[in-house]
Parts: sequence; C-alpha cells; structure tokens
Amino acid sequence: MTDGRLVLSAPAVPEVLEVVHSMLAQLWARADSWEQRDRSRFELAVIEVLGNVVEHAYAHDAESGRRFDITLVADDERVVASLADNGLPVALDLSGVALPEDELAESGRGLALATAALDDLRYERVEGRNHWTLECRRGSAG
Amino acid sequence: MIEIDVHTRDDGIGVVVPRGRLNMVAARQLKEVLADLVGTGTSRIVVDMAETTFLDSSGLGALIGGLKSARQAGGDLRIARPVPAVTTVFELTNLDRVLRARDDVDTAFDD
Repeated sequence: MTDGRLVLSAPAVPEVLEVVHSMLAQLWARADSWEQRDRSRFELAVIEVLGNVVEHAYAHDAESGRRFDITLVADDERVVASLADNGLPVALDLSGVALPEDELAESGRGLALATAALDDLRYERVEGRNHWTLECRRGSAG
Repeated sequence: MIEIDVHTRDDGIGVVVPRGRLNMVAARQLKEVLADLVGTGTSRIVVDMAETTFLDSSGLGALIGGLKSARQAGGDLRIARPVPAVTTVFELTNLDRVLRARDDVDTAFDD
C-alpha cells in the first residue's frame, strides 16, 4: 500500500456519518494489511469526533450552514484523519477528557472513547476553523 | 444504515435486533424502539447484537437509556452476542459490568 488519501467536504449533518463509514471501508480496501482491531478503533474515534462536530453544529448554529472537511491517509505504519470545520471554537482540554462519573449517564463518553482508541488526538483553532488530527499506529494498544 | 427488528416472545421478553451500524443516526431509532417497548408494557428486553457491526457513544447512550427505563418499569435490559469491535467499546467505557454480555439470546434472562 503506497498512497491512499481520501477527501470529503460536506455539510455537518448526522446523515453524513454513513458517507464517512463508506470512506473508511474504501480506505481499508486499499490499506488491506491493517488488522481488524486497528481498523475498529480508528473508525470508532473518527465517528466519535465527527459526531461531536455534528452535534455542536446542531446545538449552536444549526442554520448557519456548518461544513467540515475530512482527509484520511494510510501508509504501512499509521493511519491519520484530519478534520476541519467552520463551527464555533471548542473549549477543550483533551488531556483531561474522562468518562462521566455517573456510570448510567446517557452521554459524555465520546471524546473519552476517541482518546482511548487513538494513539494521538490533537485539537487546534486556526483561522476561524477547528482542526482535529487523529492518529492510530499499527498494532499499538491505543 | 441500520435495520432494527423487534419481536415479543411468548414469555413476554422483547427481543431487539439492530442490524448494521449503531451510530448517532441509528441511536435515535433504537432509543424510540426501546421507549415504545417499555411504554407498551414490555420491560424485559434482550438486545441481540450479533449483527451490530459498529457501536459508538450515542449507541451506548440509547442502550443505557433503555436499561434505565426498563429497570424503572420493573424489568431489565440485557445484551447478547456482541462482536469483538462492539465488546471493545463496552470495555473502554467500563460498561461491560453494567451491561454484561450474554452468550445466548434465549437464556439471557435465566439468571
């Protein structure tokens, strides 16, 4: 597997999650030496972060035409998703993301799951856009 | 995409079978299905996850919401036969204790 870059630019609506699941399937078809365990944790993290973007789009600026761009790249060692959206800034300390204290809470696990599943998750606010970088290394525990 | 099959057995237990990916979109559907079941008097529910290929935090939220309302109505919600990718999500969130996976749908309420 040499170069497998996939790019999508789309409105930040829940239905687009299915498109991203399909993109991931395409990515693995090209990067076919990646094991199921790594594929699963990467897919989980991408959908969690994107779900977070979509949810905030709905909560804060549903009418403003919020969009996002996603790029997926895989090589033999690592797989990386870069996500950017034009939504409001996110106040977030990724080092402090934890599971909810109430074990029967119905929400609040998304970013903790993404952090646990990935080897690296970074967030930056650059020129009015939120940038997320998600990275899995082959065969690592996450 | 997801399909959610629902049937109620002769012993009164509701069996819910989500087929496909349980993400944010599907979680809304599952939440409604579970609320309808409990609302119409079926408070013992087994979610058969053998054909659930993906689970995220919103899917977990729907399951926990269903669990809570089933318990409030005097019943319970149990999960059966999750695939490895889905089991990992329960483990990463420590929910494998609250929603202990059963090996079999038929006997999920035997203990």
